[in-house]
Amino acid sequence: MTFQDLILKLSTFWAAHGCLLQQPLDLEVGAGTSHPETLFRVLGPKAWSVAYVQPSRRPDDGRFGQNPNRLFKHHQYQVILKPSPDEVQQLYLESLESCGINPRIHDIRFEEDNWESPTLGAWGIGWQVMLDGLEITQFTYFQQVGGMDLAPVSCEITYGLERIAMFLQRVENVFDLEWGGGVRYKEVRLQEEIEQSKYAFGQVDGLSGAEFADVHRELFDKNFALGEKLLDSKLILPALEQCLKCSHLFNILDASGSIGVTERTGYILRVRQLSIRVAKAHVEAENLESGPAA
Amino acid sequence: MDRELLIEIGCEEIPASWLPGLTAQMARHVDARLKEVRLTSDAPAESYSTPRRLTTRVIRVAERQTDLEELVTGPPVAAAFGPTGEPTPAALGFAKKYGVEVSGLERSDTSKGQYLAYRLRQRGKATVDVLADLMGGVLRDLRFPKQMRWDAYLEDGKGDLPFGRPIRWLLLLYGGRVVPFVIRRTELAQGPTVQDIRSGPNTYGHRFQTTSGRAGRAIKVKTFDDYQARLLENFVILERTEREQKIRRELETHARRLSGRVSPSVAAHSSLLQEVPDLVEYPTVVAGHIPVEFLTLPEEVLTTTMIHHQHYFPVVDEDGRLKPAFLAVINMEPEKPEIISRNAERVLTARLRDARFFWDQDRASTLESRIERLSTILFHKKLGSYREKVDRVVTLAEWIATEALRVPEAARVTAQAARLSKSDLATDMVRELTELQGTMGGIYAREEQLPEAVWKAIYFQYLPVGVEADAAPSRQQLGPAAVPWTALSLADKLDSVVGMFAAGELPTGSRDPLGLRRQAQGIVKMLADLPEVSGLDVRVRLGPLLDKAAAPFNADGEALSAVGTFMGDRLAYLLEQRGFDVRNVRAVLHGDIGQTSPLEAKRKLEALAQMAGSASLLGVATLLKRVKNISKGVSAPSSNPNGLLTEPAEQALVAALEQSAPAIRAAAERSDYREAFAAVAALQPMVAKFFDDVLVMAEDEGLRAARVGLVATMRDLILEIADISEIVTD
Repeated sequence: MTFQDLILKLSTFWAAHGCLLQQPLDLEVGAGTSHPETLFRVLGPKAWSVAYVQPSRRPDDGRFGQNPNRLFKHHQYQVILKPSPDEVQQLYLESLESCGINPRIHDIRFEEDNWESPTLGAWGIGWQVMLDGLEITQFTYFQQVGGMDLAPVSCEITYGLERIAMFLQRVENVFDLEWGGGVRYKEVRLQEEIEQSKYAFGQVDGLSGAEFADVHRELFDKNFALGEKLLDSKLILPALEQCLKCSHLFNILDASGSIGVTERTGYILRVRQLSIRVAKAHVEAENLESGPAA
Repeated sequence: MDRELLIEIGCEEIPASWLPGLTAQMARHVDARLKEVRLTSDAPAESYSTPRRLTTRVIRVAERQTDLEELVTGPPVAAAFGPTGEPTPAALGFAKKYGVEVSGLERSDTSKGQYLAYRLRQRGKATVDVLADLMGGVLRDLRFPKQMRWDAYLEDGKGDLPFGRPIRWLLLLYGGRVVPFVIRRTELAQGPTVQDIRSGPNTYGHRFQTTSGRAGRAIKVKTFDDYQARLLENFVILERTEREQKIRRELETHARRLSGRVSPSVAAHSSLLQEVPDLVEYPTVVAGHIPVEFLTLPEEVLTTTMIHHQHYFPVVDEDGRLKPAFLAVINMEPEKPEIISRNAERVLTARLRDARFFWDQDRASTLESRIERLSTILFHKKLGSYREKVDRVVTLAEWIATEALRVPEAARVTAQAARLSKSDLATDMVRELTELQGTMGGIYAREEQLPEAVWKAIYFQYLPVGVEADAAPSRQQLGPAAVPWTALSLADKLDSVVGMFAAGELPTGSRDPLGLRRQAQGIVKMLADLPEVSGLDVRVRLGPLLDKAAAPFNADGEALSAVGTFMGDRLAYLLEQRGFDVRNVRAVLHGDIGQTSPLEAKRKLEALAQMAGSASLLGVATLLKRVKNISKGVSAPSSNPNGLLTEPAEQALVAALEQSAPAIRAAAERSDYREAFAAVAALQPMVAKFFDDVLVMAEDEGLRAARVGLVATMRDLILEIADISEIVTD
């Protein structure tokens, strides 16, 4: 099964089970959770089921395309089920079967692994799903987002697409995956991995380490200030986008070793404060729109 | 007739580490609730668990509650009747409350006088009618290390029912019949896919395996025996010990087939064997191979990757060398074990390839060059980065080597080891395999050809931790690193413990996230075993160590005294764990903890243990108690007031003290506490005679003062060794 077939299979499965098929967020984010289709939809009482691919950037995991298992950018298949159905584990296992993973032949386990994002004021309880010892999915019951308790509770299923594709195609190196139609993963993404890793670790000609850090600090401050302005004007989605940009810039600063611990804590706190304000503003706005009749 | 009660709470996968505790809780709460609802049973509740179920069975539970008979006390008789004998409003009110006439009330004699009383009799209800209350109570009683909301509540007026993981079914049978019970789902969640959970007669087996029918279907059961048998047919072994035995048996068989045995590091450095039976419902072992090329990686990296990251068991040969093989416990009876083995091999190979990448990459830079990077790694938010910690530990370790251990010639090497001790936190290997911190630093230092004294000090720096687990390395293992390791290991732990206390991060009874107890335990353990671990026979007192460690923190007096008490408690705990008598431990740890040397305390206890049963020592101890009372607040005179003490018993005691004092002190000085305590015990006849013949509280003020002064002198002499009045049994 090719990489793109895997995406098609999962989309077909979840669409058949009532999910809207959404598109990736067109911004640099570290996980599908940052997408407003997750972050905003899990807030409030309204039922919502959605599935989408999210390219996810982890500057710290950049390996210049040399490591067979690690990537600056990987792809998550994200499913949100709200409320979380009673049969959610069963559904998930069926989704694996639909991709050609036979649970009667493999050892599939749910092992404790809770999830927390300090920058989003969010946490949940759940498992990592292990397939013959390989972690293929993060399975989380969201408890809080933006510092607010969630009711009803949403279930987030995050498939690691490269991992699963490597398992199915039996390749040892992610760059050897067949993306589709005989085209390899490396042909699609290798150059990007090399360039992005160099950037993430500050290997930029004519820009010293200190200058690299300064540029990103400035960008962070500008995006942050803009985010606050947008929020004051109740432009909540644009404000969230600035907040996510800040989060990514912080990751770059962190990966390139540009910040000390005190500064690091400070950055996390700022992103957190902004994201919590954004989430609260979203909840308030939703309440206003739906009105007392709803 | 008594009938069987069977409860199974079917859950989504419960974390393995919680299961032993939850299993015990189930039995305890069911028993307590049975008692509370007045249901008698022949035998205590038995409980079982797998990752997907918490089960309790009570063999025979009575069919009815016992009848309740209770004497309810009302107003005192004195206040119940007026002067003419007519009932007061208090008496009338009480009678009315129970629907009887005042004449129908009894009188009850209590220690506080006679009271009106009503005999309340309540017929017991049928068991099936109270079991729902019991079920609700048990669900509320269970405590989880971390709980979640899952849109569920009970109709008991208490609302939301948080739990460890979502409950998916509830088997609740009494005498083979279903007891109705319902867990409701909130209005917001309720719908076609989210429904109330109603108790039923069904259990569920393995999701994918069965010996008959469709896997994962509901299985109707009547009794516990039936339940257990049906589960086994459906690939669930209910008894944890059976799962564990199956695992052990198969591990052994497979290891033998590979002509090896399971690596002893599994038992020594992990709880893997305790954990796996709670990760699976039907364990089977499969074997896999590691490509030989990876055996060039340090053994520590290989075993940590296998044990901690994959829950795999490494296999070693007769000489204890790793074999290119591993064993994995899976949760099924595999149709094609070779497929699972091959996949497990691929996962492990991928991880090892990663590790080899780190190994090559990390060795391209020196530990020295990584020190600056430590400023980006947080030690603690109130205590700054590891860069700052390194500076503190260097100073402290150097001081410990020079001043506390008195080996100034080791100071330079100690400082070098301390300076590099945290650099491995900035390596990719440790960022990935955090369990290897310290170990990896040591290995990289060895690769850099740094002296053995340096790399071993780094390698073992985090040991020992706790009282018995993770013991200190042996003298042979340490070789020339004995002193630098001792100084570094002490300095690192002291800095953490004292620093955290200064920052106000004190461990509480149930919470010690930073592991300060275990670290403090490590400190006192090293100090108590100093000759064995470092080859140095020095009595290091706690006070100066703590003061020196506190210097960089601006710690206030309160924090310092709290850390002193904390260390004293840990020392007492260590010594008690070693089997010393609690009273003796109190005796040797009396007074200022700062003046205490753990090594000295241990030796005194050994001497006291040898002298157990010495009548004369016990005699002095008993009299010391009296002495301490009489001389409370009196300091010993610098010399004996001339001429006042003329009684023979007085003079005999004066002479005895003058004679034994130098002997006791000399014995203590050379750590011969047996001799010191013997000398104290030898005072017994003189002390006893003194108290028989002499009235200390003489009327003459001068004489009295002289006598009290004499006993105070004796008191101080004995307290220099130990407060032996503590050894007296009350």
